[in-house]
Amino acid sequence: MATPADEMNRQDALEGVGCSRKRKEDPRFVQGKGNYVDDIKMSGMLFADMVRSPFAHARIKSINKEKALALPGVHAVLTADDLKPLNLHWMPTLAGDVQAVLADEKVHFQYQEVAVVIADDRYIAADAIDLVEVEYEPLPVLVDAHKAMDPDAPILREDLVGKMDGKHSKRVHNNHIFHWEAGDKDPTDRVFDEAEVTVEQQMYYHRVHPSPLETCGCVASFDKVNGHLTVYITSQAPHVVRTVVSLLSGIPESKIRIVSPDIGGGFGNKVGIYPGYVNAIVASIVLGRPVKWVEDRMEHLSTTAFARDYHMTGELAADKDGRIKALRVKVLADHGAFDACADPSKFPAGLFHICTGSYDVPVAHVQVDGVYTNKAPGGVAYRCSFRVTEAVYVIERTLDVLAQKLGIDKAEIRRRNFVKPEQFPYDTALGWQLDSGDYHTALDKVLKAVDYDGLRKEQAEKRAQGELMGIGLVTFTEIVGAGPSRTCDILGIGMFDSAEIRVHPTGSVMARMGTITQGQGHQTTYAQIIATELGIPSEQIQIEEGDTDTAPYGLGTYGSRSTPVGGAATAVAARKIRAKAQKIAAHLLEVSEDDLEWDVDRFKVKGVPGQEKTMKEVAWAAYNNVPEGMEPGLEAVDYYDPPNFTYPFGTYLCVVDIDKYTGQTHVRRFYALDDCGTRINPMIIDGQIHGGLNEGYAVAMGQELPYDEEGNALGNTFMDYFIPTFVETPKWETDYTVTPSPHHPLGAKGVAESPHVGSIPCFTAAVVDAFSHLGITHMDMPHNAYRVWKQIHQLGLDKRG
Amino acid sequence: MKVNLDKTFAIAAPMSNGWKFLQDIPGVASCMPGAEITEVVDANNYKGKVKAKIGPATMAFNGDIEIKSIDGDKRELHMIGRGQDTKGSSSAELDLTAWIVDAGDGQCELKGKAEVAVTGKAASLGGRMMVQVADQILNQFGKNFANNVVAMGEGEVADEARVELAEQPKELNGLAFAWSVFIGFLRSLFGGGKPSAG
Repeated sequence: MATPADEMNRQDALEGVGCSRKRKEDPRFVQGKGNYVDDIKMSGMLFADMVRSPFAHARIKSINKEKALALPGVHAVLTADDLKPLNLHWMPTLAGDVQAVLADEKVHFQYQEVAVVIADDRYIAADAIDLVEVEYEPLPVLVDAHKAMDPDAPILREDLVGKMDGKHSKRVHNNHIFHWEAGDKDPTDRVFDEAEVTVEQQMYYHRVHPSPLETCGCVASFDKVNGHLTVYITSQAPHVVRTVVSLLSGIPESKIRIVSPDIGGGFGNKVGIYPGYVNAIVASIVLGRPVKWVEDRMEHLSTTAFARDYHMTGELAADKDGRIKALRVKVLADHGAFDACADPSKFPAGLFHICTGSYDVPVAHVQVDGVYTNKAPGGVAYRCSFRVTEAVYVIERTLDVLAQKLGIDKAEIRRRNFVKPEQFPYDTALGWQLDSGDYHTALDKVLKAVDYDGLRKEQAEKRAQGELMGIGLVTFTEIVGAGPSRTCDILGIGMFDSAEIRVHPTGSVMARMGTITQGQGHQTTYAQIIATELGIPSEQIQIEEGDTDTAPYGLGTYGSRSTPVGGAATAVAARKIRAKAQKIAAHLLEVSEDDLEWDVDRFKVKGVPGQEKTMKEVAWAAYNNVPEGMEPGLEAVDYYDPPNFTYPFGTYLCVVDIDKYTGQTHVRRFYALDDCGTRINPMIIDGQIHGGLNEGYAVAMGQELPYDEEGNALGNTFMDYFIPTFVETPKWETDYTVTPSPHHPLGAKGVAESPHVGSIPCFTAAVVDAFSHLGITHMDMPHNAYRVWKQIHQLGLDKRG
Repeated sequence: MKVNLDKTFAIAAPMSNGWKFLQDIPGVASCMPGAEITEVVDANNYKGKVKAKIGPATMAFNGDIEIKSIDGDKRELHMIGRGQDTKGSSSAELDLTAWIVDAGDGQCELKGKAEVAVTGKAASLGGRMMVQVADQILNQFGKNFANNVVAMGEGEVADEARVELAEQPKELNGLAFAWSVFIGFLRSLFGGGKPSAG
């Protein structure tokens, strides 16, 4: 008879779900043995580099490539005119728009790709770029999104003139991309008309860039003999890339191999398809040699996808006790020169309508208008799920404004409005169904941990002394794991994901998934899921992703979808294997299947001690002794179409002290409680939360991609673009509760983006709270010392004596 | 990225000489450190180039100079220079109005209003120092201009001016320039006003 201790030992040996197993990826990374795109060298490989526009809006009068072509080592200089015969000078975007692969007669944003030079090495390519002579005629520049739809605004997209049927709606102006709404307008307006209290807050969620450690790049290699194209690429969605490349090039998908090797961070920046990739692929097809393109940091910050740039107005209607009666949100979304957002096709504003947050909001209405400007295209989900960061920001900020207006404590107003545990699954006014949650418990745990009342008391004392101390509180709900294919698709492909698991005769496992890790640790955590499901130690389980020749089709990793979708597929595929294994075990033990029970790593005959078969034994038998009529082997595939999204949540609290003479904000304390349902690897969760908080801190306190009125990008080097190091980064305190998702096979929800989504409004809330007693309701990010000082100075708080 | 600058330079020479020199376009252009006229298209249009070396970056601008007006009554020159860096990554535009006023006592002043606009990498990389850099370039320009006018005369002062002109570096160059930019920047911080005119 197995003792509990024996069972625990066997459990521990698996290193399964719940174990803080060390990351499998780290040994190669810490030894510098990762294999990134730029590490790939191929025989005869050439290099591509881009000629880019110094102007934000200009007509191209002429391009002279003679001098560049005369430089020894230069193989080709391609312009839009060269791509036209192939019909590749424009390409479709994931958002249903088109984007110029190389500027076609006009440039629409600064640093846009104008020509591509292919040369023997990257130094020759860089020299040759300088020799390409481009004559421009500057045109009026549109930078301010609020002026985009003025009658006299410059026409940006000449290719769209007269085409007023947009992909998502009618367009009302040539610079208009779409109008989109969710919720019930008239009932919402009526509640606002009759409400006891209303508040309105305008806020600008500034333009930022995910800026992962590794920039974007690829190596394209076309084999002219057999017509095969291989592309090593920094992509969060290699299978989607293969489909798009096939549609663009006409090469069958079966002859295209896309490989995402090790990826140095993605954060949404590596979801889309960029002109650089297409140019490298075209050049390789034309020249019949491998072509590498890797952008530098300035090109990265200036051209490959940015995030946010949302001008938002949040309004709440409530009763005198602060109970929300309605929510109204209006957004002007600046998408830049081409609509190259990466959202599920049906949602031009992503999942922004999760903006009712953690609250029981009876009725709501949201409208978003997207516009073109002379800025780089993008609008991706920077460590978040499709505009969820924006959504959480607008509701959390507006709720604070309501609390201030009514004089209700910011924790208390949240408690009064939370969706209650017994209300789950909860249908929101904007059409989502929150799967599970326990917001009160999370809030109370945090308030107790930080001694919230003590902090408020201290703040009152500090205020009396004229000092600035702020307490930010955010109780967010995310929506991740896109998504159910009835609502979510990309280019018509449902947003399922997949796992394929093979158990070898000796009991080791090879598993491949349609997702792709970029730092999340899939090679570690997926193995833990299989270990628990199959009773095979995770050390014996190899996880492979990112090679479209071997991995099953999947939509990739972004929007915290790997655990909710890919992890679910992994669990379900493993369960299919276990179901077959149970039949084999029954056959081996000569009992009925129903007489068996599963015990950590083996099947036991109920009530007969010692009658058991381990999974290892069953695996061997699967290849030589299966029941009659059963096919041999032990493997399974699952394409998992999730029934719903998952809704992780959390309570974050931030305490800041602000120097009233310099405007410097010191984050004294940051306490982050996350509930991501079942926790697969607590150590990886902590690491992901630390990373997300760091990036949240970066966005809230310093990151910014500003443009001047001529459309010059001013934040596109690390002289200006804020990347916090350990010097700037505050200490993070983490905590958790566990409220499993009822519909996920493991109860897991996804976590890596919550800390980004939740922390950003929390920093803003803390900074604003330091001024709230002076009537300030909102301050736009980034909260760098200069901007905070301006607020201090405007209030006259920096006068000495 | 745009910067507006107003400058005044004292010239120890009579107004008539100042005005005479202001109408000598190649002469005026040569006062700009690192600049030269390469082609006279017609009376109002010139082609030229400017080479600037600031720290590790060398930028060479090829461009057109267009004389918008030469007003003898106001003794005023209005010109526009447009250039693109030969690497194609930046462009610059200078809209300059310069005029000569009498300062009495056989002396005059060169006054200038300039709007400098840059785009591209020059704006991205150099934006934060642009006021200081433009200011220093104009200071060197003003000094050269004054020396040129004084050198038209006779005597010891004119000789000194000729020597200074001969010693003037032909290219906007190196550490000395960076240092003067830095000093100008500090002055602007602590001097309570704009960087002082040269």
